[in-house]
Amino acid sequence: MGQLVVNGLALGSIYALVALGLLLIFNTVQIVNFAQGQLLMLGAFIGISGAVTHELPVAMAWIVTMAAMAFVGIVFMVLVYFPLRGRPPFLVILTTIAMGIVLENLALIIWGPLPVSLPSPVRGPPLRFAGIVISMHQLFIFATLAVILLLQFLMLTRTRFGILMQATAQDLHTARLVGIPVNRTIAVAFAFGAMLSGVAGLLVAPIFLAEPTMGGSLGLKGFVVSVIGGFGNLPGAVIGGLFLGLIETFGARYISSNFRDAYAFIVMIAVLVAWPRGLFGEKSSEKV
Amino acid sequence: MFPISVKTLMVGTAVICLSAAFARESKADVAACPSPIPLGLTTALTGNLALLGTQARNGAEFAVDEINANGGIAGKKLALTTEDTGASSTDALNAMNRILEGKPLVILSSMISPHVFAQTESVTKSETPFLVGATNAKVTAQGSKWLFRTHVHDGQLADLIPEYLVTSLHKTKPGIMVVADDYGLGASKGIQAALTKLKVAPVAITSYAPSDKDMSAQLLEIKDKGADSVILFGRPADVTLVMKQMGDLGIKLVVIGNTSIVAQTTLNNLSATEADGNYAIGGMIPQTSTDPKILDWAKRVQDKYKVPADNFTVSYYDTVYMLKGIIEKAGCDKPAIRDALAATKDWKGMLISYQADANGDLAHTLGIYRNKGKTPELLGPIKESGF
Repeated sequence: MGQLVVNGLALGSIYALVALGLLLIFNTVQIVNFAQGQLLMLGAFIGISGAVTHELPVAMAWIVTMAAMAFVGIVFMVLVYFPLRGRPPFLVILTTIAMGIVLENLALIIWGPLPVSLPSPVRGPPLRFAGIVISMHQLFIFATLAVILLLQFLMLTRTRFGILMQATAQDLHTARLVGIPVNRTIAVAFAFGAMLSGVAGLLVAPIFLAEPTMGGSLGLKGFVVSVIGGFGNLPGAVIGGLFLGLIETFGARYISSNFRDAYAFIVMIAVLVAWPRGLFGEKSSEKV
Repeated sequence: MFPISVKTLMVGTAVICLSAAFARESKADVAACPSPIPLGLTTALTGNLALLGTQARNGAEFAVDEINANGGIAGKKLALTTEDTGASSTDALNAMNRILEGKPLVILSSMISPHVFAQTESVTKSETPFLVGATNAKVTAQGSKWLFRTHVHDGQLADLIPEYLVTSLHKTKPGIMVVADDYGLGASKGIQAALTKLKVAPVAITSYAPSDKDMSAQLLEIKDKGADSVILFGRPADVTLVMKQMGDLGIKLVVIGNTSIVAQTTLNNLSATEADGNYAIGGMIPQTSTDPKILDWAKRVQDKYKVPADNFTVSYYDTVYMLKGIIEKAGCDKPAIRDALAATKDWKGMLISYQADANGDLAHTLGIYRNKGKTPELLGPIKESGF
């Protein structure tokens, strides 16, 4: 039981990180990026290229990956968001799905189909108590999620940039009229969103391996988590992620492992029926 | 000086004349082949099955390149056209239709059974010899006289794995863990049936989706229910995760399953402790060979494609060479090629001999492997009963 809780929370933390990246972009441009999972995959492979192929120290590989992912985020914005800005949102969403497929195949061409592992930045024997095993990497995942959650919360609520982001999200044209550097704000949001996915990829690769198709399922779970928590809500994304991780793990253990993926969508539908705006509501009046 | 009778002389002359006539006819048959000789291949090069599909493609392509570099077949080169099936049966059928438009002499297809099920009718209608590596036992039971399989199938594994586990390893409380798709679930049913015959009941029957990353719930169920072993059926990426997570959770049970357990792609991502002592039964892999030529071949494949050769690479490589031998004898007549495939007996491939049975299955020899640290060792070949 205790082991299931630990493993469920570790898995949920990954979902939460993907959801936080989704949320950052959504809170700025009101668009759901369905390629968030593929950005995670890209982060994992860039990290592997740095740490394994070029034998950089793992910490250095992380820094390089985050810088690269910030750049990828901006390129993503230029290719996907800017050309379709002002068009119906579903067009942008469809384009993000297409971009995800492009990224997946690009990774297949560049890195090939082999699953690859990334060394963890933390080493050491696992903690054991009462029959429960917690690996150092799992502890690192929990700590990273906590730090990112705190930083993102502070940035959105306590900094000028956070206020600019919210203003841009609420009314882009008015924000521009009052002198807010809208494009720069959006670019930073995309860069940070991609960086967050990159971090999730770096955290996933040591325990789940990296392969070109890894992003599809994780990205979809990130979306489900966002819906459960309430789109645009920071604590909701994290609580939704942890909740889903636990539901999946316990469902697979005590109900049936055959329907593990189905639990996510059953829970999402149940939550939407009971709370149409998700567990923690949302600021936006539009539904995806 | 030996005296020769007139009768002997006449018979001898007749034999020589007939041989010459047949030899001329055979050469004439090959001479009638198109140039280049068109072969088709559909396999998964993208999507979550890309690794398996790529390994098969590498085997076929490597053989074609070797044959062409050595002058082709009677001076005619082989032209291999490859189409990507992705991971969907619909795409597999579309890919096959594109291949058929090119009117290939022979078609090689996927090791993914749903893809082959989707394609069989089209290929059968085209009356083209159809060679596959698909592992579902029912693939060759579709009643197509044009379909042949050159890789071992799940029916053989489903019988042999439980038998080896129970009779040789003396384990009687296995937990079953399979990938939840046609491949794994089909194998799971066969394994359960074989265990029943052995009067052994699995303590837990679990599965995981192909996209699943966390297998801890299934592993803990197997452990909690008192299993003494795990029968594992999956693909290299997910089998790697299962074995890694067993190590993380401190679950020390004997694992036996398909050749994903000893695949180089699996072992590359495991520690020696995680890999050690686990068993696999399945298609033969080149890495355990003691023959320097085979090891050199595996190295050349790895160097060329940056992907290790596996059992499918060997199987598809052998298939192309088998076709070469058949075309040299039967020419480019499709029914003649089909008949020659159906009559295959003791054709020596790289690691096994091939022999056609009534269904069109040509592979009946499997390998039993065990990992010693991160090095797979061949414990010995095992033949399907009746072969």
